[in-house]
Parts: sequence; structure tokens; C-alpha cells
Amino acid sequence: MTETPNYDDSFDAIVVGGGLAGSSAAITLAQRGYDPIVIERGDTPGAKNVFGGVMYTPTIRDLVDIDDAPKERYVAQKAYSLLSEEGDETRLTMQPHDWREPPHNDSWMVLRRDFDEWFAQQAVEAGATLITDTTVTDLIVEGGQIVGVETDRPDGDLRAPAVVLAEGANSLVSEAAGLKEPDARDDVAVSVKEVRTYDRETIEERFNLDGEAGAAYHYFGDGACGDTVGGGFLYTNKRTIALGVVYRIADANDDETGPEAVLNRFKSHPAVAPLIEGGRMVEYAAHAVPEGGPDAVPDLVHDGAVIAGDAASLVLNSGLHLEGTNMATESGHLAGRAIADALDQGRTDAAALQPYADALAESYVMENLEEYGWAMEAAADEREFVFDDLPRAVASASAEYFRVDRVPKADHLKAAKQRILHATGGYTGAIRKAWKFRKMFY
Amino acid sequence: MEDRLYTIKYEDAGESHLDVKRAGVCEEQCTTYDCISVCPADVWRTEGDAAIPSIAYENCLECGSCRWACTYDNVIWEYPETGAGVSYKFG
Repeated sequence: MTETPNYDDSFDAIVVGGGLAGSSAAITLAQRGYDPIVIERGDTPGAKNVFGGVMYTPTIRDLVDIDDAPKERYVAQKAYSLLSEEGDETRLTMQPHDWREPPHNDSWMVLRRDFDEWFAQQAVEAGATLITDTTVTDLIVEGGQIVGVETDRPDGDLRAPAVVLAEGANSLVSEAAGLKEPDARDDVAVSVKEVRTYDRETIEERFNLDGEAGAAYHYFGDGACGDTVGGGFLYTNKRTIALGVVYRIADANDDETGPEAVLNRFKSHPAVAPLIEGGRMVEYAAHAVPEGGPDAVPDLVHDGAVIAGDAASLVLNSGLHLEGTNMATESGHLAGRAIADALDQGRTDAAALQPYADALAESYVMENLEEYGWAMEAAADEREFVFDDLPRAVASASAEYFRVDRVPKADHLKAAKQRILHATGGYTGAIRKAWKFRKMFY
Repeated sequence: MEDRLYTIKYEDAGESHLDVKRAGVCEEQCTTYDCISVCPADVWRTEGDAAIPSIAYENCLECGSCRWACTYDNVIWEYPETGAGVSYKFG
């Protein structure tokens, strides 16, 4: 093995992880004239990354030209379905004309391996250095200040004035260094997903799509994720469909709720099975999702280091909104900007890096987390209602309301209302639940 | 499950990045084996009457679920070294 050259202090910042947060930080630093080095443990950026997947691109589009980015389809249709275990589906589909026009609501189906590799390359073109197949194992701390990282390379210690910890959901480095507590069991979800290939025509015919248009479907209820708190998803790419389930790890506690069983059940639901019929599975993947809301966000700023992206629990799951990629890129960008400002002043202590946390707190990232972070907890509290009673009641009320017979519609409406009211626990229950879930809709 | 795992590209690190911290915890305290229930890749397995799960680390998707699933905080979970382990082609 060739001797590793000594790069100590030849970089202005070390970015741990070549995902969205890491590359955003590196691009921002490089654009400001600084020399960041990105250390990625996979054989290429994206090799260890998994998501549902929709890439939300407002920040990325500000940072780089995304015309040439490897994108699959834009989100032209979005649907939310309530599934009951018995096979009912009640679905709301949206297809606003606006989404068909560039920039397509900044919502693109992508494949992470392609996209992250491309995005990291944008950092390199901006002047960043990227090394792969290298794992950061610990931080180097001197006198309370983080001054570099240890890696698994021979003589692999590397020093720099600032470190961006963008290491993802499994934030071993941040945890080992005591910069954050490990996430609580109830705050982490497991997601399993499969990617299946089809003819392009099959996908476009089946989902009523043309050109670059794509579909993003979300599923809730016991028919989507069995006896767990979570949901299912399905996204169309050019020639592949990605589908899977995501639910709390604490619920994955027996053979029935094991990830593979839950995924197979979701795939066999009458609302889902015809959409994915045929095709061939070309990849199975799994990932952890931090979804603890604002209370799970750790201290973001330390002497010589900041935490960004999934490592900082910046994922929003409000039930309606399932976002993370936009929050990762925004946090990485704000981290890079704060580090550049701090480097301008020649210091990288926590006080000098604090503007990162302040800017994030004022951005939509923390605003949204604060506003919607309660949703998972509310859903977990009311799991039987949300995942079991409601999907069944809504389906049954719809069947009642639209029933064709010789009874007047007014009578059907009354009966349909009764079914919903029964599920919500009468008028008092309905009011209590409406109050509890009010924030979801404004 | 085999069909699923065949779709994934792995590079064997040669040694396990997973282990249990204290064998006694699995043997004497654990009755639920949540590591086995939660694992999406059958990495954690029961074999015969063994009280300690066996670990097929070569199948690991590096999701980390077992870290959180174990209520005894008894899982050792590290990143496989120098880029080894799972390598997704789609992600």
C-alpha cells in the first residue's frame, strides 16, 4: 500500500458523508473560495444511501444548475390513500396544472446512487476534494475543540478547522464523540423498499403519465402497514417503480410485523397489487429514518463542528408531508455558509458557528419541524383510530353514500355520517379528534 | 428473502461489523429477540436452541434498525471498513 500523504491542515473543512447535506455544505464552502474535503464511506457518493424517493430541489437549484442532473420523473400526480385490511381504498388524487410547468414544484423522483454521485461531482467541480471508500471512525478533539477526524485509512488522521457531520441516520461519529445522544427507539422508523423494472410504456399507461410526468402515491391505514404506526409509498421512475413501507422500529416486534412481512402484505393489497403486477425486482433496500420531530434535534453546533441532515434528525413526517431531502440540502448549505463566515473571521469555536443554528431555526426547516412535528405522536396516540377505524369507516361511508338503490340520497347521507361518527366516537369524539389533528390541514 | 438479497451488491469486509456487547444479556435477560424481528435482511438469526442470535453480517443492508430495536442496548454496530458492505445501485 502506498503511503498516505499528509493532508493535515491543507483543507479548510472536513465534511463527513457525501450525501445531500454533505455535498451542499461542500458546494457552499467551495463557492466561497474555501477548500473542503468530503469523506464518503461508500465506493461512490450515494452507494450507501436509500430514500423513498422524491428529491425536493429548491436549495439544490439555487446552488447548481440542475438541468443536467440525473432525474427520473417530476411529480405530476400525488395521491393519498387510506387502505383497510379488508381491501378498501379511499383515495385523494391531485394533479395541479402548475406542477407540469418548470420547475415542477421542485419535486423529482430520482435514484440516489445517480443523483448523489452527480451532486458530489458538482462539489468537486466547484473546487471540493472527494475521497471515497473511507470511513470516519472518530473525531480528534484537543482542549475541547474538534480539530479533525480519524479514518480507517493507514495514517488516516486528518486535521482541519471545521468538521461538518453529515453522516446520515446512523450517526455513529457524532454519538461516539458525545455530540448527540443516540435517537430514542420510538423516534426511529425502519423502511424497506424494492425497485422493480418495467417497460416505460407499461408505467406510463398504468399510471396515466406522459413524457417526464410521474406519480407519487402515499398509503395509510392497516392495509398499508399492518398493525404498526407508519405507511406505504409508491413512486414511478422512468423504467422502474420504487415501493415500500416505513414504520416505527418499536412496532417491528414479531413475525407479523417484520419488515418483509409488512412489505409483502402491502404489495398484495388490492389497491397496490395491480399497479406493480409483472416487472422484476432489481433491488431490495432498507434504511432507518429519524422522525422524532423537533425534540429529537440535537445541539447542532459544537466547538469546531456542526451536525446536518439526517444526523441532525431533520426529517419531517407530518402524515401529509414526507420531507427530508430538502431539509438536508438546506441544512448543509446553511452549515457551509456559517463555516465560511466563521473562517472569514479566523475562528471556528461554537460561538462563531452559532449562526448556522440560528439560520436553521429561522428557516422553513425548523419552522416546519416545530409546526408539524407533533403529527407522528398524535397518530401513534390514536393508532387504532387513524390506522384501523378511520380507513374502514371512510370506505364504508363512501359505499353507503354512493349506494345505488331505491332509498333517497338524504337517508344514505345520514347513514354515512353515522358510520364516520361511530368511528370517531360520536360528536364529542369527533370534535376532540378534529382539534387534535387540526394542524395537519393548515 | 433469498430473492431479495440476491439483488444487492455486497463487498465482504472479511469480518463482522456487528456483534453483541454482552453475551449474558441475550442468554439470561432477553426473551423478545427484537433484533431478529426487526432485521429486514435476516442478518440476526436463531439457530437451534442457541440463546445468542447468530449474525450473518454479509447480508447486512446497514439500515441500523437492530441498534434501536434491542431494548437492552446490547448491539454493537459499526460501519464496515473502507467502503465494504452493501453498495446500492439505485438507492
